[in-house]
Amino acid sequence: MSMGKPLPHDAAPLHVSGAARYVDDIPLPANALHLAFGLSTIAHGEITAMDLSAVRAAPGVIGVWSADDLRARFGAVPDCSPSAHDEPLLADGVVKYLGHPAFLVAATSHLAARKAARLGRIDYRELPALLTVDDALAADSRFEDGPVIWQKGDASTAIAAAPHQVQGSFEVGGQEHFYLEGQVAACLPQDGGELVIHSSTQHPTEIQHKVAHAAHLPMSAVRVEVRRMGGGFGGKESQGNHLAIACALVSLETGRPAKMRYDRDDDMMITGKRHDLRILYRAGFDAEGRIAGVEFTHLMRCGWAQDLSLPVADRAMLHSDNCYFLPAIRIESHRLRTHTQSATAYRGFGGPQGMVGIERVIDHVAHAVGRDPVAVRQVNFYAPMGEGPAEAGGASPPRSTNWPPEDIFRQKKAGEIQTTPYHMPVEDFVGDAMVADLLASSDYHARRAAISDWNRNSPILKRGIALSPVKFGISFTLTHLNQAGALVHVYQDGSIQLNHGGTEMGQGLFQKVAQVVAGVFGVDAAVIRITATDTGKVPNTSATAASSGSDLNGMAARAAALTIRDRMADCLALQHQTTANTVRFEDGHVHVGAEVLGFAEAAARVYAARVSLSSTGFYATPKIIWDRKRGTGRPFLYFAYGAAVTEVVIDRLTGENRILRTDILHDTGSSLNPALDIGQVEGAYVQGAGWLTMEELVWDAKGALRTHAPSTYKIPACSDRPPVFNVRLWNRPNREDTVGRSKAVGEPPFMLGISTFLALSDAVAACGDGSVYPALDAPATPERVLAAVKRVARDV
Amino acid sequence: MTDFLRPATVEDALALMAAGGVVPLAGGTDLYPATQRRALPGLVLDVTGLPGLCGITTGPAGLRIGAATTWTALARATLPPALAALQQAAVEVGGIQIQNAGTIGGNLCNASPAADGVPPLLVLDTEVELVGHRGIRRLPLSQFLTGPRQTARQADELLTALHIPASALSGQSHFRKLGARAYLVISIAMVAVRLDLQAGRISHAALAVGACSATACRLPQVESALTGAPAAEAPALIRDADVAAALSPLDDLRATAAYRSGAAAELLRRSVATLCQPVPA
Amino acid sequence: MAITINGTEVPLPEDPRMSLAEFLRDGLHLTGTKIGCNQGGCGACTVLIDGQRVLSCLTLAVQAEGREVTTIEGLSSGDDLHPLQEAFIAHDGFQCGYCTPGQICAATAMLRELAEGMPSSVTGDLSRPAPLTAEEIRERMSGNLCRCGAHNGIIAAILQVAQEGAA
Repeated sequence: MSMGKPLPHDAAPLHVSGAARYVDDIPLPANALHLAFGLSTIAHGEITAMDLSAVRAAPGVIGVWSADDLRARFGAVPDCSPSAHDEPLLADGVVKYLGHPAFLVAATSHLAARKAARLGRIDYRELPALLTVDDALAADSRFEDGPVIWQKGDASTAIAAAPHQVQGSFEVGGQEHFYLEGQVAACLPQDGGELVIHSSTQHPTEIQHKVAHAAHLPMSAVRVEVRRMGGGFGGKESQGNHLAIACALVSLETGRPAKMRYDRDDDMMITGKRHDLRILYRAGFDAEGRIAGVEFTHLMRCGWAQDLSLPVADRAMLHSDNCYFLPAIRIESHRLRTHTQSATAYRGFGGPQGMVGIERVIDHVAHAVGRDPVAVRQVNFYAPMGEGPAEAGGASPPRSTNWPPEDIFRQKKAGEIQTTPYHMPVEDFVGDAMVADLLASSDYHARRAAISDWNRNSPILKRGIALSPVKFGISFTLTHLNQAGALVHVYQDGSIQLNHGGTEMGQGLFQKVAQVVAGVFGVDAAVIRITATDTGKVPNTSATAASSGSDLNGMAARAAALTIRDRMADCLALQHQTTANTVRFEDGHVHVGAEVLGFAEAAARVYAARVSLSSTGFYATPKIIWDRKRGTGRPFLYFAYGAAVTEVVIDRLTGENRILRTDILHDTGSSLNPALDIGQVEGAYVQGAGWLTMEELVWDAKGALRTHAPSTYKIPACSDRPPVFNVRLWNRPNREDTVGRSKAVGEPPFMLGISTFLALSDAVAACGDGSVYPALDAPATPERVLAAVKRVARDV
Repeated sequence: MTDFLRPATVEDALALMAAGGVVPLAGGTDLYPATQRRALPGLVLDVTGLPGLCGITTGPAGLRIGAATTWTALARATLPPALAALQQAAVEVGGIQIQNAGTIGGNLCNASPAADGVPPLLVLDTEVELVGHRGIRRLPLSQFLTGPRQTARQADELLTALHIPASALSGQSHFRKLGARAYLVISIAMVAVRLDLQAGRISHAALAVGACSATACRLPQVESALTGAPAAEAPALIRDADVAAALSPLDDLRATAAYRSGAAAELLRRSVATLCQPVPA
Repeated sequence: MAITINGTEVPLPEDPRMSLAEFLRDGLHLTGTKIGCNQGGCGACTVLIDGQRVLSCLTLAVQAEGREVTTIEGLSSGDDLHPLQEAFIAHDGFQCGYCTPGQICAATAMLRELAEGMPSSVTGDLSRPAPLTAEEIRERMSGNLCRCGAHNGIIAAILQVAQEGAA
């Protein structure tokens, strides 16, 4: 059985020897062109004149195009938007952020294109630039007509009627993806006008669709291939469209292959980042800290184009409850349009922004009632799940006919089920049990007491500790995206080739899906040949996003493999005068009646009997239904849970801070691959902690992003890793019928990083007499921590 | 045409530089990123192979550090405790890959206000040695650095060495920098302190702060406040206002001015406290 | 005018302004060396010159004239992997793999630096050989960024090889 084994990443030997090929490593024909964009130098303005003569005359330059040139040549300026058709490839008359691509250069080398792109002269008539959420609110500059409001119960009345109230607001910064491999695409023109695109993208079908549209080709004439990305994190869900389209257009214009790769500065200046926002809150609660009602306002800075901002802002609203049953809640979400980079998908897709809001509220409530924040979390938790399935799912390879087990959803009595702010029953809550386990394993209560003592005797260094839980909804909120396809071939020599719609960006998806398929055929995972994601093999795929990669593609690949296995079983059973359901596929062999065949021999016999050994597979997530206008339904198939305890130390005189210890317990269902899952959990935590501590994006008053290089934008380094870092998996079967009863793991542990922010706040509080709840914005840089310390201490 | 010059002697180098338009390359870790967006300008002259530019020598007048000495070589050298601050700075420059290629002379000529090497050299009363076809001249480091990315080096001169006078080789020194992360980032503030202690009192104090003004600078007012003071009381004599008065920090993307000067004062107090700690018997 | 790359002497590029990283990737198709930032801020392009780790994006190819350059491709021969390469697999010392060649090249040099007693900024006593601890390794590997956050595996892999070497 290969599911559940801690196998290394499938491409591990290639990665460690430098042989793993990324888009920029693919050899191109010698006549290939290299592209670069010329960027705007102001945030908002009308282009009054553009002089590109110096660009054209620069060494190595083959072609230069402005929006007008594209319109003249292709009838329109091609659109790059994944949503609202509001992102022309090049600024069309008006530049809308500083860094906006305004013209395109093709040259004989990457450096020649980049150098030439700096020679363009653009004259502008400057227009007022809206850079902040306050600017945008004042100008009523937004996407959609007004704020989106979802509510359950009457929050305002509930807050007013509650014995105690708190209110506050804080800022939460954005985040640069900083995938180590920057955005890159290449186009190889084929005969008959067809195009082959290599792209570092999480969404090959989107690239195919947008390129086809731009080139006036049917999708069938564009093939997109993605072997792997050097990191994605959501930043390659829509942001690669521009490069692929640019390459395709240049290929069509010149008949030559074209490649475009953003250098790091360009990548950071041009592409979107995590949405930053301001969160305003009000809550009413009793003396125990039990919340009666809460109101949130999210002011999300979406940037110049719509991109994925609406579903991101939705998901922030959808995670405003996190693990807590909130009887009455109102959430008002403003999606503000500014003249900055268009904020985009980033691991968690708004979920982290929503979750950090309620976690701060809980901390604030705990402060107000004078209780340990963990106790307040516990009194507000959703009711726990009833008895789960008795046996561990995925422990043995069941036949397709009698698996999966019955649906536990129906067993639950309706009266016990609490609902989320969007009226979805929470049936699978395990947060309470996980938190209890983690409190014990991390020795939380004893350490909290010890820290309190330690702080009394330490005038300069102050420690803080916090626990934060995670409940993250799994499924795309756009329901139709919850589908996947796969293609499996068994060859007559018994080798197996696997292809599916998911893309590999380091998360180990390919290996996990290979393990699923290997499990179906009873062969070793190494037998499965994993091939590049290819829109010519599996069409109409969704982005590898929303943590859904294994859930969707694992099920689709499983379906394809089961189809072939059933055909093989039928064929072999007929030959052996036995019934198909007695044929067993185990340990690389096929047991038919009394005979044991090697898998290769079995495949050869089935081939000789003229039975197809190839199949597609398809999966559509069941049960989900969602009305986003009203904010009601069941947008998620299930929730993934987790909890983290983080201990930090701050220097109250400089604000410097570091993590001392982290303990994590994370819910992966029955893990498909514990080694890969632990890696996901650790990496996500580090990235989440980075978001809320050191990763600071700074724009100047002109709208220029000043932190556009690794020297100024700080992601966690090896030395920032917690010196004590204990990670365990809550390895229990998903109650929903997912592949191997596993749970999605890409995004949920990102939000475990919130515990770092809360621990810093706890340490800040220790600098005062406890009467003031520390006002702390994120990211909690040394400067912000010091400012918070001063506010707390002044009120002593 | 070759644009890359690697002369065998300083004389040859100066002859090449006399023609103008020559950029000395002393490791390249700063030069290359600064020129990524354009071509490397003009001729590039690699100074790292020139005789006398690498290595550290001691003589009666003091210590001489070749301008093309790498951070790694500095960190590995056996040097008097007065140079501890410089060695601490050396192991925090960039990452180790940068330390292997980057040189002390390159760091000075690049003249970043946040250059790690400058505060430790300032507290050592360092002089720089410039060689041109008109001869050799020496300048105090504080006069060599004239502004952000500006130095007193003429286009046809080479920075060949740093001299630390024997008088500055006494005492102990300490370096400290502040930032969210030690490596691969530009510092928000950094300090170097060198103290001579005699009979429990500070007989000589040298303090410098980097990244908080157009060029790193000494703090004479604070130094005189410390001179003669009992070691145990020294940290408290460093007042925020005195430090702020000596600096002219800017609000920028990395920090506000107030945070910078306040943090610099605190770092100074700590470095002084570290150096004033009684040596365990 | 030549450089030795992974044991083979190759002529220098004609353009003296070409970085070593570009020369390796575009000139010699040794694409194991990755460009992450092209400005010395991430470590992905780390290679060894005469056994010392340097950033190939900040080094001109001509600066390596007459010297021995080792890239990730030069650490293994065929299926015969370097112990660090084996250990990175065993400890899951990567996810997306893009920083991995740089990490492994840096680690190779780091083990030598440790053996030679070179101090780091966390080495308390600069006059004695640095101890072999996870903290020292964390510190010494901080010139190589890993956005996936595979630091635990990276440290574990290096620690294992370091200890085996010391044993």
